[in-house]
This record gives sequence, C-alpha cells and structure tokens, in this order.
Amino acid sequence: MPEAPERDPVVGSSLSLLIFIGALLLLLATAWALYDEFFGLRPWKRYEAEFARRYSAFLRKEIPKQADAEKSIRASAEYQQLDQRLKDLEESVRDKLEQIDSQTARIDHRQSAVTDAYTTARAYVNSRIYVIEHTSSPRSKRSLGADLDQYKRGPFELRLPPLESGGQEERVKFSFDELEAEFNRLRDMKARLLGEKAEILRPISELRKQRDSYVADHLNGLSAEQLRGLLKKTQSSSLEIRQINNPDAGIVDRCESCHMGIREPVVLTAKDMGGARDPMARAFTSHPDMELLKIHDPEKFGCSPCHGGNGMQVASVRSAHGNYEHWLWPLHPRANFEAGCQQCHASDMVVDHAPALSLGKELFEWRGCMGCHRFEGYDAEPEALVSTQQQISQLETQRHETQIEIQRAIQAGDNAPDNESARAFYTQADALRVSIGNIDGRIDQLTRRAGNLLREIKKVGPDLKEVRAKLRPNWIPVWIENPHAFRPTTRMPRFRLDEDELKPVAAFIWQSGIDGKLPAQASGDPVKGKESFETRGCMGCHSVGEGANRVGGTFAANLSRVGEKDNYDYLVRWIHNPRERTEPYCPLEKRDLTEQDYQKHGLPFVFDLNHAKCPNDGHELQIEQMTVMPYLRLSWQEARDIASYLETLKEKDPSTYPQAAYLNDPSLVAEGREVVKRYGCAGCHEIAGLEQEGRIGTELTKEGSKPLEQIDFGLFVKEAREKDWYSHKGFFEHKLQKPEMFDEGLIKAEGEELKMPDFDMQPREVTALTTFLMGAVDPTLPKRYFHLPEGYGRDVQEGWWIVKKYNCMGCHQFTVGQPTALMGIPRYQTPEWKDQLPPKLLTEGARVTPDWLLKFLSNPAMSDADTDRNGVRPYLKVRMPTFYFSPGEVRKLVQFFQAMASQPIPYIPQKLEPLTNQELALARALFTSRAAPCLKCHATGDAAHDRFATAPNFLLARDRLKPGWTKRWILDPSMISPGTAMPSGLFKRQDDHWVFSGPTPPAFAGYTGDQADLLVRYMFEITPEEQRRLVGMSGGARASGASLAEPSKNSANPGRGPVATRAPRFIGAYRAEARRY
Amino acid sequence: MQRKIFFFILCLATALAFVACGEKTPTPEAEGPPREQAAAPTPIDQSTVGSITGKVSFQGAKPKPARIMMDQDPVCVQKHGGQAVFAEDGMVNDNGTLPNVFVYIKSGAEKYTFATPSTPAELDQDGCMYKPHVLGVMVGQTLSILTKDPTTHNIHPMPKDNREWNMSQAPNAAPLEQKFSRPEIMIPVKCNQHPWMKAYIGVTKNPFYAVTGRDGTFTITGLPPGDYTIEAWTATFGTQEQKVTVGPKESKTLDFTFKGA
Repeated sequence: MPEAPERDPVVGSSLSLLIFIGALLLLLATAWALYDEFFGLRPWKRYEAEFARRYSAFLRKEIPKQADAEKSIRASAEYQQLDQRLKDLEESVRDKLEQIDSQTARIDHRQSAVTDAYTTARAYVNSRIYVIEHTSSPRSKRSLGADLDQYKRGPFELRLPPLESGGQEERVKFSFDELEAEFNRLRDMKARLLGEKAEILRPISELRKQRDSYVADHLNGLSAEQLRGLLKKTQSSSLEIRQINNPDAGIVDRCESCHMGIREPVVLTAKDMGGARDPMARAFTSHPDMELLKIHDPEKFGCSPCHGGNGMQVASVRSAHGNYEHWLWPLHPRANFEAGCQQCHASDMVVDHAPALSLGKELFEWRGCMGCHRFEGYDAEPEALVSTQQQISQLETQRHETQIEIQRAIQAGDNAPDNESARAFYTQADALRVSIGNIDGRIDQLTRRAGNLLREIKKVGPDLKEVRAKLRPNWIPVWIENPHAFRPTTRMPRFRLDEDELKPVAAFIWQSGIDGKLPAQASGDPVKGKESFETRGCMGCHSVGEGANRVGGTFAANLSRVGEKDNYDYLVRWIHNPRERTEPYCPLEKRDLTEQDYQKHGLPFVFDLNHAKCPNDGHELQIEQMTVMPYLRLSWQEARDIASYLETLKEKDPSTYPQAAYLNDPSLVAEGREVVKRYGCAGCHEIAGLEQEGRIGTELTKEGSKPLEQIDFGLFVKEAREKDWYSHKGFFEHKLQKPEMFDEGLIKAEGEELKMPDFDMQPREVTALTTFLMGAVDPTLPKRYFHLPEGYGRDVQEGWWIVKKYNCMGCHQFTVGQPTALMGIPRYQTPEWKDQLPPKLLTEGARVTPDWLLKFLSNPAMSDADTDRNGVRPYLKVRMPTFYFSPGEVRKLVQFFQAMASQPIPYIPQKLEPLTNQELALARALFTSRAAPCLKCHATGDAAHDRFATAPNFLLARDRLKPGWTKRWILDPSMISPGTAMPSGLFKRQDDHWVFSGPTPPAFAGYTGDQADLLVRYMFEITPEEQRRLVGMSGGARASGASLAEPSKNSANPGRGPVATRAPRFIGAYRAEARRY
Repeated sequence: MQRKIFFFILCLATALAFVACGEKTPTPEAEGPPREQAAAPTPIDQSTVGSITGKVSFQGAKPKPARIMMDQDPVCVQKHGGQAVFAEDGMVNDNGTLPNVFVYIKSGAEKYTFATPSTPAELDQDGCMYKPHVLGVMVGQTLSILTKDPTTHNIHPMPKDNREWNMSQAPNAAPLEQKFSRPEIMIPVKCNQHPWMKAYIGVTKNPFYAVTGRDGTFTITGLPPGDYTIEAWTATFGTQEQKVTVGPKESKTLDFTFKGA
C-alpha cells in the first residue's frame, strides 16, 4: 500500500471559511456603516423626508379647501357687488380709453416719423455748435455759424402720418426750429393723454384692490395660490442641515432640521401632521405662539437661549434636547418652558406671554422668599438705602475736601507774584465754590431719596413690635407652632419648632414688644361693619371663609378667624389707618424713639409725614408701619363697625386657648432671640433689636445654573437619579414642597438642620416658582440681548413692580380680560353691583393728564378737609385708598400709565378753541335737553341731583382729562372700557362731522360744526357757576327725600357740595388728622 | 459551493432587509376637521308633536310690591300721570300665580336644529319700563328695541356668555336691532340712566320657551316626542326644573310652585 501522500496544504486545506467569515464581517461592517451614515448619525434626514411627505399631504388637502373657501367668498353678494361695480366702471370708461389708446397710437406713429429726422438733425446741429465753440478764429466762427444757420433753415422734408383718424398723410417742409417744435408738441400731447388715462384708471385700480383685498380679508388662512407655492417649495427642498447661526451671540441652532414646521406660515397641529400621539407629528407642529416669534426673531435669538437644549446636536433627540449628564442646559420641560424667558427678562415683574413665570416672580415677593434669599431686583429698597447713605457720606467728604482746596487756592492767589496768576487762582477758588453748590444739591436730592426709600421699604409680615397691643397672648404660640392649622392659606410658613424652641421664641417676641397703650374704643355695629367690609374694597385683598367658601382677594390675609387673635382697640386703629405706628424708628440710632426723646427737646410726641425727622439727630425716621395696606380714609365710626364685625369672625372663643404664662418668663428671652435670629424671622417681620439683621438664606439670582453637585440633595442623589429628578427642576420642586426632606437620614447637631420652613404651597405655585428659579441662570446671552428697554418700555417695566407691590390689580383692570378680586365676589355679579366696581384703567394714561394723576394718586380724596370720600367717584361705595406712595413711586406710576398708553411726558395741554357766545348757548341747550342724557348720570355737585349720580362731575374734566380722549370716549366708550355704564351711539356721523343722535334743540338749526367737539370744548370750560346754572336749567326741581330701591342706596354719598378741584396739599395732613382720635 | 453562495446571498439579503427596513410611519390623517357650515333645520314630523301647558303658582307670604320712584327723570313720572308704579321683580298675580316666569327646555332638544325665526322679537320702552319684562329670543334672532318715551334711554344687556354692549337710544329714534349669538339664561338688561328699568332676556337654541303672564300659565307647543328637562326661571324666587316625557301628540300638564321667603 503506497504511503498516502502528505496532504498538500495548498490543495487540501481551505481558507474559504475564514475568508467567508471575513467577507461577512466586511459586509456587515459596510451595511452598518451605510446604515449609520443614513440613519444612525443622521436621524434628522428621516425627519426632513418625513416632514416633506406629511406637509405636502397636508397642503394638498388644504388647497382645495381654501380654493372652495375663496370660491364661496367670491360668490358672496358683497364680493359680487364689488366685482360688478368694477366691471361697470371698466365698461363706462372703455370707449374713452380706446379713444385715448388709438390717439396715442397715432401720435406714436407720427412721432416715430418726426423723431428720426429730428434726432439726426439735432445731432448734427450739436456737433456743429461744438466745432464753433472750439474754433479760435472769429472769422471761422462766423463762417461756420452761417453754415449752421443755412443748415437749420432746412428744409427738412417729411411725410407725416395724420393725427386725426381718417386723415391724410401730410407732406411738410420744416425748418429745424419747426421740426423741434413739432417734436416737442407730440411729446407733450402724448404725456397729456397718458396722464388722462392714468386719471381714468385710478378709481378702477382702487376698486380692484378693494375687491381683491376683500378676498384676503375674509379668507381664514392663506390662499390656495399661496399654499401651492408652499407645496412647490416643500417638494423641491433638499435634505440638508437647517441651522440658525448668529455669531454675535454665539448661537448655532440646528433645531429646525427636525422641527421643520416651526416657522411655516400655516398653523400645523400634531393632528394635521399625523396624530396627536405620534412623537414625530408633535415635532412637526408650528410654533404655538407666533406673536412671540415676531418679537423674538429666531434669526437673532435662535431657539436654545429660550428653550434650552444643545442646539448644535443632531445625532439623536436625546442629545439635541440636552438631556444628558454633560450638558448643563437641558431642554425646559413643558410645565416650565417659560423659565427660558427669565435670563433676558430678569428686570421685568410682569412678562407678557409667560403667565407661569410672571406668577413665579410675583410669588417670590408675595411669599416672602426674598426675606431670606437675596435675588437681584427684589426688595431692593434696603440695599438702595444703604448705597444712598454711602453716597451721601462720600459727597460730604468731597465737600469737606473741596473747602480745603478753596482755602488753598485763595491763599495761593493772595501770595501770587503777579495779578494774572492771582486772578487764575481766584477763578479756580470761585469754580470750586460753585461746585460745592452742586454737591449740596446732590446731597439734598439723596437725603430726600433716603427718606423716600424709608417709606418704600415694606415687610412681608406684620410688625412684631406691636404684638402686645395687637394680639391676645395665648394665641401666639398656637400660631407659631403651625400657622397653617389656624389659617390654611397664610403666607406665614411653618418652622417645625419643637417645644424647646417654641416657648422661647414666643416669650422673646412677646417681651420684645413695645408697651404701647392704645385708647379704648367704643364698640361698633357689626352688621354695618360687615356691609362696609364687603363694599369698601377690603375684599380686593382680603378674603373670608375657607376652602370652597373662600370669598375675596388672595393678596392679603384670610380673616376668617381674626376674632380669635386680635385686640379690638388695636384692630380699630389698624383699620382706620394701618400705617400708624406706636413709636417711630430711628435707623441711625437703631431703636424706636419714645415720648421722652421728644420731651428732651421740648417737642410734642408727633411723628408723621410732616414730622419725620429724628429730634435727636435730625435724620429721617421710619414713621410708618412697613405694610402695603393703605389708608382707606374711613371715619372712626366705620372703622369701629368693621372691627366689630371682624371680631365676630371666629371658630372658637379666644378664652379656650391654653394659658401661655411663660410668655412673661424673662429667662427665655435670650434663647428665644437666638432662635429667632437663626430662623431669620426679621427677614419678614420688624422685630425690636433685629432691624438690621441680614438675610439668612443663600442668594438665588443664579441658582438655576448652579452645578448640581453643589446643590444639597442630602442622601437623595441616588434616588433622584433613579427616579429622574436629579435636576434643578427636581430639586426645586421637592425643596418647595417639603424643604426638610433633604435632612432625612443625616446626623446633624441641634440647630444645624435645614432652616427653610414649610409653605404648604399649591402645586400651581410650586410650578411657577420652580419655573422662575430654573430660569434664574448665569446668562448665556450677551447683556445687549436683555430686555432693558428705554423710554416707554422702561416706564412700563418699572411701573409693574409698584402695581404688583400694592396689588392695584385686586380692584382695577389694567389689561382687557384681566380678572380682579372684586369682580369675582358674588355681590358684584348683579347688574347693579357691576356698576359699583372700581374703574377699569385700560387707557388711563390717555385719559388723564399726568399732573392730575400725580395729585390724585397722592390724595385720592382730592381734598384736604373732606377726606372720607372718593375724589372722582363719590358715588362708588368702594374706596380708592391713600397709599402714601413716595414721590418716587408716584412718579413711576404716573409714567407707567402714560407709557402704557404711549403718551408723552410732560403733557402739554391741547389748546381748545374757546366757545363763542352762540356756541355756549348751543352747548347749554344740548346739555340740558331732554334727549341728552349727560346730567342723568354725571354728578353736578348739587346734593339733590347727585343722589342719583353714577358718573364723575364735569368740573373735573378740565384738569383731569385730555380732550382727544374725551372725544373718543363720548363717541364710543365701549371701545375704551368694554362694559362701561356710559352708552355708545350718542353721536352719529353726518356728512363729515359728528352730530348728536337724538333730537337737538331748535337753536341747532343751521349749526354745521362738529357737535361732539362742541360738547368737549364746553366740558373743558365748565365752571362751578356754569354748572349751577345747568342744574337749574335742567329742571333740578326734583322731589327731595324720595328714595329709590336697592341700587342707589349703595351709591349715595349725599350732601357733599361742589367737588374741590384746587390742588391739594401733600398728604401729611391726614396723618395729623389721624392723630386726633 | 452552491450552499455557500446561497448562504452568502441569504446574508446579503438579510443585511439589505435590515438596512431597508425603516420605521413604519403613520400617514397624516385622511380626514380634516369638520367643515363649518350652517346646519339645515332638523325635519320634524308635525303630525306627532305634542305640547306642555302649566301654571306657576306661588306659596307663602306675598312680598310687598316695591314702589318705583321715578322722580330722577320727570319725563318718566309724567308718562304715568302720577300713578304709582311697582317693580315687576317679585310681583305675584292676584290669583296667587307668578308672572314673568321664563319656562324653557333646559335639555332634551339638543339633537334638533331649528331655523332662526325671521320675525324679530320686540322689547319696548314705554313709561320708562321695559315691555315685556321677561322675554325669550332664539340664537341669531333679531331683537328689535323700540322706544315710546320722550327721554333718552340706554339699553345695556350684561351677559356672561354673549358680547356685552350698551347703546344709547334717543326719543323717536329708529328701533335698535341686535342679535345674540350664544344661548344664555338669562341676560339681565338695564338702563343706566333709569336704574329701575330691568328686563331679562333668555336666549335659546330652540323655539320651545314661554313666559307666564297675568294668569300665571304657560304653553309650549310643537314639541317632538321625547324626554325633556323643563326649567322655570324667576328673577327673585330662583329656578326649578322638572323632567317630563312627551309622547306623540300628547298634551302634558306641568305645574311649578315657588315658595316665598
């Protein structure tokens, strides 16, 4: 048997398997590479292709719909009428136009014959003139001139087509001048004819425009033609990265590579693009707030500065939305997307289009967050006060130094070697002296500013120096332990104090209180008090009833159980004027001044706006309670009635509270003081000895961009990661809901636990505050992108802070549709009571003059003596209170209102043409005619008449109103204040002016002036004498003593004599009045 | 060898299939939103319609009529020639029934669509009083407001759901024509210059409503058979509702009783 040959490795062994595996791997790798190229790395391509497909389908569906809609608009009678008019018009001028056209054609014909000859001749003539000009020898000039004249004489033989139709061709021989004249004549004729034609065509083209815009005006959405354009554009679009690139702000946003519908000019909903549940369809919708895009051009602002996310990423949805660990600005979730507005709108209190953020901003102040946490822009007054005082002391130093320099200059002058340099030194000394005057002026301004700031500083909580006068002692520990148990909606948070802390705190607060004795008050009538409470406007801020029964505003305390806590005498004083203090506080001496301080200087113990200087050192005193609650200018009796009513509001008798004898234990005070300091109570309350305490919390101005590692999640990092709340949003939400949770499991020494108290916030509030804090970031955009407007914009921005601070919106409407607290109260639902609502301020800046508004805001009674009334609307039961605004605040408010209506300041009154005697008689006759209803509602100052008045006195018009607004108002008040009691349709248009709609007095026969103007001019001329005369003329002999059913009972403020229109003195006078118990 | 090629092709095919297999995406929904168009009236078989009649009575102490003092506008006083005028709200008829009760179908008629009446409803102003005090109009029906008084009035409906307006009407002025676009029970109407003037307008989507008169009765006719909830509305004594089934050609009787304070 032959030995089997050794297997030839070349023949016998096969590498095919290896090669096959290799090939397979290679193939798979290629496939994977291809897949990744087209789908893995470029998911946006799929989005783009899909968008084009779906959008085209959508457009194809829309086109016939819009075409139908257009068709039906074209079929409408109105359109047909327009169309017919157009056709008729075209028809009527057709012959004329044809005539013009044929005439023009003939002119053209003839012109072409003339033009040829003329231009050739003219060229020759011009060339000869050039030669003559450039010839030096006079002889040559003469001979050339003669040649030219010869040439000009012609003749130029022409065959000219006729100008009249049917005319004969002319053969003419023209000289050059005649030729030129003919050329010009034809040109002018043609221009005249074309002008004539344009004149004829103008009404036609106007009518055509009107007809075509009728379709556009009545078509909802784009026209079929426009949609077809979009379809074409979509179908021809290629797959490419779509990006916004703004190098100025470092923005590169490729979001629109997937979100392709965002800026499309049609409204795309998820349903249109494939169904509300389909994530891709949701990505294809158009931007939900196109108005917002109009004021934030995406080409400038991009997407990510507002929305967050990683704008450059297109590899996956997750990475583009920035939802991964290494991206610091993830996409804002739906509930908090308004957070993106904050970085540029940090200076705004109210951000349009962002209700949740605006609420968050408001809550940060209202809830008292700023008491512990500094936040740029909030509670700025104390800081401003410090910096003002620093500036004053700097200026004082500067003044001192300048004085020394003056001395030196004078000395140098005295010793100068010659007169010239001496004069120079003396001049320098004089200049320095003058500069001292400037410094003094600035110091003066700043000192006043400091005084104003003292009045602008408000505290979130009440003054605890007055607890002994105000509160029943046994209630205090109950309240501190758990304020929500007593009053579920209170702003006062729960501090989780244990027994060892609670007692010292209560004892410290009780014992640090001023021992002020208040005069005892007689008791009032609770029934009347209830009526007053419900109608004077208290409920614009306060509420009564709890849970579902709660009625009234949410700005201030719910008073349902106020009878359990307050002392009656204190309550009366508080209701009468809440700004009243028992003792003034001197910021310099850092203590409250007592009667002895005044006695030492032989002064009466009087401190008010007119007596606000410290008797010891002359510095500005805090003479007010630091509350925003205003002075309602109620009588003492009414204050007693209301207090008596409030005392009846209780669930249990105050005597059932457990005795808290330890409140007077002096050994607890020191510890109590420590605890109070530790918890930062002085951030919201005025507490004796702790007035200068700083904030205890961390600053939150940039909290939203603090790295997560620096945020105290305690032991919850793991859980938060697992449950997907390891984020700023997650932290803020948990912290706001249950601040102490982050102490859980940690071993901490006594007093080192987290101090933030429990606020028991509504979910809505948590979301709003979270949104606000998420937006509180270190800005990614340059400062020039921030909303820091000039002019009107700035006035509006600054004004909102004050409007919100004093809760003006509890009573007044500032924007159409904005609800007020009073509007929501059941009482104000009937037609009668609706007319008792405070006026809407929708166009206040256009309505009233800034000077008047300034006076009114300073003194809404418009009188110094008679303050228990409304200055403008005495018939309203609800009272416009005195807020004791500082001059700075009044100025900002006036500017705010003027800016809201785009009105310039200073206001220069419009000059009205004085009435002639005849016009005066006419206006009087119209005013008092039976058809004119003016005096049926408007007050006149006549007591008998004004029992029924429901509108302001005309005497106010001159100082208060702007004539332009007044005319717009009387023409159609519903355009200015929807729902107003003043009716529309009082005037109608006749020819080119307004006339009274009703029958006019006979004297008007032949009067062709504008009757609305006449009445406005009359209104601005009315004097008290004139008004008395009017009342007499209009049959003021009305039976007195007659009473009307329900409504007018609420409206009368009878027997008040004519309204004073003179400028009131500043408001300090009330204070003096208030002191006379 | 063939098997190898086969296997290769299989792999390639799988790979290609893998590459080609994109995510299935839904197509845009075929149907657009329903197009708005004026619905045609539902045909109602007139041979089967029934009716509801009834009386609204009042129990308890009759409220004292509230006298209206018109001395604020002497024109109004003159119109009544010195006669005392009393407020219509809270008035009780001599026979113990209630006038000015608005009785209407609160629910049950939603499935029908009705043509808007071409005749206008009328609200008159005479002697500085609205006549009638309570009236019903259909959505879109013209309300014609007349005046017979030689003084200027203003008509100011204060609706919740409709648009609010407030128009002046001078003596001898042409009737004011207005429409309400949304159903609303009830729209109070007032004249700001004569605060005692009050009217109430019920705006409904169907013609089945009635207002009781001096005899306290009402009749609603032309009702297609079916189950209905009927509500009786008063300005002062609240509202009451009752369920009722109306059979073909049936005449139902339905009485309401309101109680005084």
